[in-house]
Amino acid sequence: MAEGIADVIIVGVGGLGGILAKELSSAGLKVVGFERGPAPKQEDYAPRDSIRFLIRPEQLDWVRHEPTTTRRKSGDKTNVQYRTSPLNVLGGALLHWTGQSSRYMPGDFKLYSNEIASGNAERAKADLTGYDIIDWPLGYDDLEPYYEKFEWEFGVSGQAGANPFAGPRQRGFPLPPLRHSARMKLFTEACQKLGYHPYDTSAGIASAPYKPAAPFDTRIAERPACVYCGHCNFYGCHVHAKSASLYITIPVAFQTGNFELKTNTKVFRLNVDGSGQVNGVSYFDPDGTAHEQHARVVILSAFVFEHARLLLISKTGKGRFAKGLANSSGYVGRNIMAHGDVRAMGVFDDFIINGFIGPGSAAMRIDDFNGNNFDHSDLGFIRGGTIGTSGEGTPVTRLDVLPPGVPSWGKAFKEFYTRYYTRTMDLNMQPETLPHPDNRVDLDPRHRDRWGLPLPRVTFEFHQNEQRLQKYMAGVGERIMKATGASRVWTEAKGRPNRWAGGTRMGADAKNSVVNDQCQTHDIENLFIVGSSVFPTMAGYPPTATVAALSYRLAEFILKQKQWFK
Amino acid sequence: MAKSKKLQVLTHEEGLILAAIADRIFPKTDTPGAVEIGAVNYIDVALAGDYAALAPLYSQGLRAINRYARSEFHKTFLQLTEAEKEAVLRACEAGALASFKPAAEFFETLRYHVLEGVFCEPQYGGNKDMTGWRLVDFPGQQFGYADAYIDKRVDLEPISVDYRKAEEK
Repeated sequence: MAEGIADVIIVGVGGLGGILAKELSSAGLKVVGFERGPAPKQEDYAPRDSIRFLIRPEQLDWVRHEPTTTRRKSGDKTNVQYRTSPLNVLGGALLHWTGQSSRYMPGDFKLYSNEIASGNAERAKADLTGYDIIDWPLGYDDLEPYYEKFEWEFGVSGQAGANPFAGPRQRGFPLPPLRHSARMKLFTEACQKLGYHPYDTSAGIASAPYKPAAPFDTRIAERPACVYCGHCNFYGCHVHAKSASLYITIPVAFQTGNFELKTNTKVFRLNVDGSGQVNGVSYFDPDGTAHEQHARVVILSAFVFEHARLLLISKTGKGRFAKGLANSSGYVGRNIMAHGDVRAMGVFDDFIINGFIGPGSAAMRIDDFNGNNFDHSDLGFIRGGTIGTSGEGTPVTRLDVLPPGVPSWGKAFKEFYTRYYTRTMDLNMQPETLPHPDNRVDLDPRHRDRWGLPLPRVTFEFHQNEQRLQKYMAGVGERIMKATGASRVWTEAKGRPNRWAGGTRMGADAKNSVVNDQCQTHDIENLFIVGSSVFPTMAGYPPTATVAALSYRLAEFILKQKQWFK
Repeated sequence: MAKSKKLQVLTHEEGLILAAIADRIFPKTDTPGAVEIGAVNYIDVALAGDYAALAPLYSQGLRAINRYARSEFHKTFLQLTEAEKEAVLRACEAGALASFKPAAEFFETLRYHVLEGVFCEPQYGGNKDMTGWRLVDFPGQQFGYADAYIDKRVDLEPISVDYRKAEEK
């Protein structure tokens, strides 16, 4: 097959590539998947080893070969940064995600209409200078059936109807919520006291043994229930209770006989023919030898940074692709976003939390301060973010969680840490970041990777709306934490970039976006991009459920184009 | 200093200075400190492997700390009182070792590594007998928890799993 023409090439067989591989190969298409990393064995990802996965992640084979460079703004010096997303391994970041599986709210898809055209931004006295806000070209209703498919194939635990701000759903969750922990109890009581609306986070972690039943894909193997070991965020799951393509969809793709996987390969160029279509990719095999693979359709599912890099690297000398593939708008790499996570912490003198137990996504959450669920009048910013409990982690990962005034070493540190390690609780806020064209990915002019390719250069900083929103969100977190009865409460109010999106945004207008509502590039009919890179705006939730839904929807669209595969 | 295995990367002298520093970062009190818990061995093992690139920073940094002790107190670091040692380390933390530019960065690295040595999975050479975990009531690499342990101490005997040995089999 490799010598001939594949029906579809998938660049990046991570969480989403793994969904696409199953859907497309099951319909009889010949699919070739290129994965930068290896196919991991269970002992590679399942150890409950915090040094390996949290303290020294840059040593992981899946992380150390593909750093980016980073700077805050144009003109600054760049630093090389090793990142745990993307994860260069078969199954990708769905191996080590936290599991928070939130659908976006209907309003999250229409920021221009709901915030600007509606006059909301004006009432808020928000300063939106420099931002570049558009509506998504699709809405919640378009994605609803695919959210459902993800939840029922991957086994998401949750409670329908518990969140008054959620969009309508045709079907409940396949599994009930996860077991409640001490932090969930305290958070729930505090939010009820304050008049907010706490609900169980929907989680891609099985609360009971799970196997999809018809009408969903019954070829998917049964998975056991979560054992609450607490080694979840950044670890692979040692019992496979966490939802991951590696053991949910990818084995089914192999069973079809139509899926060929090339691990440890590096795609370094997308190739175009004279008619302006892509006809395949060029890649390095594990020995570094260059090859070509031809295909009728190419899908990129290789994460935000790599999407921009590949499109820019693949530019042709002149003509319509001189600025890079699918870049007639000049928007490739523009408007990248990341949540500016802020935290509120508390310690308890008279209550033991044991925050190392259970998955972080066994959490309570409120959306009273997400999206435009609250009155923004005169606040000086638009949008919001979800607020919930998070996992607290092993002792070696909590060394900096210290209230102001507690020293970070010496006798006083020891006294604090030995008393309060099991008595500390965090709230995590995920404030939305608005699209700003100065936040972008381009090709680093100096730094190259082991294949000699320019590293993606990430230029990113939070602008005025983010700064105000983050401060506000930290204040709400502080209020809730105080209501839990914590003896001491403090916050981290400066956002830390987390969960990347943008760079190849989706839009109705080819002049200011890269792909259309089907994740199809405006410029090249048989080139598709899927992942959070297509988000024109991000919501105050993690992207996973939404990117998974987009992947199922994309597979369906490609399978309808029967004329391409005759 | 507790009886140590032979060091692989650090010299004997460096090992002694590092131990004296580790004991200020996480001191022995009525419970064991970083030295008893194996932080020096943890760092030496790490410098022989994943942290190899940091070995020069360690030898330069430890020398600079000793040099600063001599210039300020006319004694070697090991001869200082506990309060004097802490004063030297505070100077290092503040980046104020005149002869050593990356002093603040070195101190932050040291602090992390010493505490990693206290709380790491024991297969990495620190957290001897899971003493660090016992000190904070963390029961280690449990397979799972049948109880949510809401407002009660987890009374399980700590567990450690050496995955490298499991892989070698």
